[in-house]
Amino acid sequence: MSTGPRQNLAAKDRIDLLQGTLDMLILRTLLFGPAHGHTIAHSIESGSDEVLQVEHGSLYPALHRLVRQGLLSAKDGLSENNRKAKFYSLTAKGRRHLMRESNKWDRLSAAIGRIMRPTES
Amino acid sequence: MFHRNDENGLTREIQDYLDRETQRNIDRGMNPEDARRAARRKLGPSARVLEDTRAAAHGRLFTWFEMLLRDIRHGLRMFAANPSFTLTAILSLAFGTGANVAMFSAADALLLRPLPVPHPREIVNLGVEFSTPDFTLLRASYPDYVDFRDQNRSFKGLLASTSITAGFAAEPGASAQVMPAMAVSGNFFDVLQIRPALGRGFRPEEDQVRGRDPVVVLSDTLWRDLGADPKILGRAVRIAGIGFTVIGVAPESFTIADCAFYIPLAMWPTITGQPNLLDSRAALSLTVKGRLKPGVSLASAQAEIETIAQNLRRAHPETNRSTRFTLKTELEMAIVSNHVYTALSGILGILAIAVFIVACANVAGLLTSRAPLRAREIALRLAIGARRGRLIRQLLTESSLIALAGALLGLPLAYAGIQWMRRIHYPTDLVTVPRIELDQRALAFSILIAMSSVILFGLIPAIQTTRTNLAAAFKSGAGVETGKRRLWGRNLLVAIQVAFSLLLLTLATFAYRAFTGELTGAAPFRTTHLAMLSLDPKLLRYSDADTLRLYQTLTQRASSIPRLQSLALGSAVPIGRVIPAVVNPEGFALPRNQPYATVYTSAVDEHYFDTLAIPILRGRGFATTDASGAPAVAIVNETFASRYWPAQDPIGKRILVNGVEWVTVVGVARNSRYLFVTEPPMGFLYLPYRQLPAAAMTVFAATSGDSTALLAPLRKLVQQIDPNMPIYDAQTMEHYYDARAVSVAHVITQIIGAMGLMGLAMAMVGLYALMSYSVSRLTREIGIRMAVGADRSNVMQMIARQGMLPVLIGIAAGLALSAATGRSLHAAFPLRYTYGPETYLLIIPLLLSIALLAAFLPARRASLVDPMTALREE
Repeated sequence: MSTGPRQNLAAKDRIDLLQGTLDMLILRTLLFGPAHGHTIAHSIESGSDEVLQVEHGSLYPALHRLVRQGLLSAKDGLSENNRKAKFYSLTAKGRRHLMRESNKWDRLSAAIGRIMRPTES
Repeated sequence: MFHRNDENGLTREIQDYLDRETQRNIDRGMNPEDARRAARRKLGPSARVLEDTRAAAHGRLFTWFEMLLRDIRHGLRMFAANPSFTLTAILSLAFGTGANVAMFSAADALLLRPLPVPHPREIVNLGVEFSTPDFTLLRASYPDYVDFRDQNRSFKGLLASTSITAGFAAEPGASAQVMPAMAVSGNFFDVLQIRPALGRGFRPEEDQVRGRDPVVVLSDTLWRDLGADPKILGRAVRIAGIGFTVIGVAPESFTIADCAFYIPLAMWPTITGQPNLLDSRAALSLTVKGRLKPGVSLASAQAEIETIAQNLRRAHPETNRSTRFTLKTELEMAIVSNHVYTALSGILGILAIAVFIVACANVAGLLTSRAPLRAREIALRLAIGARRGRLIRQLLTESSLIALAGALLGLPLAYAGIQWMRRIHYPTDLVTVPRIELDQRALAFSILIAMSSVILFGLIPAIQTTRTNLAAAFKSGAGVETGKRRLWGRNLLVAIQVAFSLLLLTLATFAYRAFTGELTGAAPFRTTHLAMLSLDPKLLRYSDADTLRLYQTLTQRASSIPRLQSLALGSAVPIGRVIPAVVNPEGFALPRNQPYATVYTSAVDEHYFDTLAIPILRGRGFATTDASGAPAVAIVNETFASRYWPAQDPIGKRILVNGVEWVTVVGVARNSRYLFVTEPPMGFLYLPYRQLPAAAMTVFAATSGDSTALLAPLRKLVQQIDPNMPIYDAQTMEHYYDARAVSVAHVITQIIGAMGLMGLAMAMVGLYALMSYSVSRLTREIGIRMAVGADRSNVMQMIARQGMLPVLIGIAAGLALSAATGRSLHAAFPLRYTYGPETYLLIIPLLLSIALLAAFLPARRASLVDPMTALREE
């Protein structure tokens, strides 16, 4: 069996992504610049210290959906090892969408936090 | 197709991911093989990823079409890879659909299609029922019609009509042409709700006064023949020598068989020169149709009719004492008005349905036999992550492709069948033209059934396979065969296939023999070296005495025609025109509700039986002394004699003809054919024409030489006697018999033969596919048995037992089915033929040998292989 980073974390501590949340995370990842699918998947995983699990198979449908919605643009380019690869980058529309979504997310997580930990707020 | 580029990009992207992930794993110290496996696991099932990504990239509807196209492409590739399967399935469906549509279209034209008038279901027929074994008519007298018309409250209107023949001249000087036409009541067009295309229909007052209103409505056909003149209204034409004014033209949609024009009923006595034609309550000469008021049921209308009839019986006991009036819908009328073609439609219909069922079973069998091949492909695709619904959808698409292709190919077949059947000239009394058209409902229905059967049987393997566990599917090459239930389904399919093939083949053989028997057997009357032509002196308003004199002169002078052997007169023509009459045979108790029996009659002269070669079996033929003033005599045929006076001497018995005249039987003639080549034996009554001068007569001239050579001298002879006498239907009997009897029977035998052959071919293919598949399922068992020491004969026995059981069950079911069908056919239609045991002796061994062969070949193959190989293969 392989010893991927996934195995370092007990299964009960991993969180599957909510529907729609993956889209936001992809957009957030691309805020730093264009990337291809593999990089995006691993950035999300490592960025969350392996807590968030991306089903890599579901990443590609999400990427293509975002392209169709005009939030991302895809461009064929050469990767670091000189191979043809598809790079995704954020469009202006995607940027606006991300702002809205992250505002929404902040309000939502704050609200949930108040309910879950009323004494700490 | 579209997005090939896109598609490549997507695959490359996934591949790129896998490469990177593998590399990443290697970098972490995994060996390359593990690294690649882990990468694949991380990505998930690649087929599903691809599918989901496609869907996300293009949106739902787009993906739906994309998938459809993909499935169609895949299906077409599958078909191209299995041409024999595809061709057989498509051809089977094409035959089945084609036969079904053609037959249903024919039945529709002959029986089911209503009158071409608005709201045809409101139209019903009223009259006294005349029933013979062959046909049923409803007729009424004019005075009775008038009483019903004026007293009823159930009908919006009641119309009366009668078919007539009259000479028609488009302008006063032109020569007249004899045409069939109709004399109709003044409300005819109103009741039928037919709006004339030009001018107007009749007014009710135009049939009030005899001979006052010489107005005529032309049929669309005649109007076009006259040059389709839009200003024809008001034109003076001559009908039977009398001036008429054209007042209207019937619309094209309302075209009635054998009707060139319509005149008011009140003009009928005038043109025939019989002034009291409409006066007698005993003369049941009219067809009466009515349009029911909305909300009035047939039963309540019948009740009212009964009340009026009751009053008529009281008021006119001398004529109406025993008459009973009935109502029949148009459909009922169509079915009873000619049993021969109802029987024909019935047989052809059952054959077509059997062909269709065999076709569907055939395709089902083919699909089932291919299921294990598909099972492997399906398992493979499931393993790489394809969704079940997706696979089922793909199989559905493939099935629909087969069904659609079959139905499309069935269309030209149906058209060909319809063209074929149009050649049949049905001996019919129907009012409307029975023109066979491709019936769209039948087409839709057939396609629907074909689709559902194909889809059902295409899906069963799909659902079963997609439910199975993958490991099992991969291990056994032939699929995932387990459980008694599935074996059962297949055996049932074999049994159904066998049963319906048996039914189809017995019916086809039976019908084929029935019709060819007629053709190969000698006709019961002379069909060669005979010429005939028809005259109707009443068209020139001859008196009875003039008519008699005309025929006598003709007979005498005809002896001068070279090579003429004899000349005869008859009012009926064999296999064609007949004249019904009602009779009360002396000493025969008719059923209580039947005041008289109906038979066909012909008025003939003393040379008729010799000339047409119909022998007199007992007693004597007619003589010149059987003239008016002498005792009234008659000759009956064998069936008449044996039906009404069984085991008695018919000579000297008396018959009351048409309720007015007693005639004494002086002879018995051999049975002939009167209406149709395959008619059952029917009673027939010959009367001497001198005692019952019928105006219209057909002249039959026998010759030792070429009958065509007689036609010209005969015509000349008639013209010498009266230059104005219209002659019609001058032709040789050879030509007539071929057109009316031989070609009809040929077309019918061809149709039946074609359906039988189609059924046979399909049964063979279908049975073979199913049987060999069933037996190939036993390969593993054969292997085990051979491995534990069974020899080949044991194996063969096992196969015979297991494989042939459903065949035997099917044969038993088929025997029961065809016996039941045969019995109901006999009950419904008076056919002379029964299935002989020789039919079964031919068909059962045939089916058995196909099944045995189909079982034997794969069994032999299985038993020849090394037991170990057989086991491993499974």
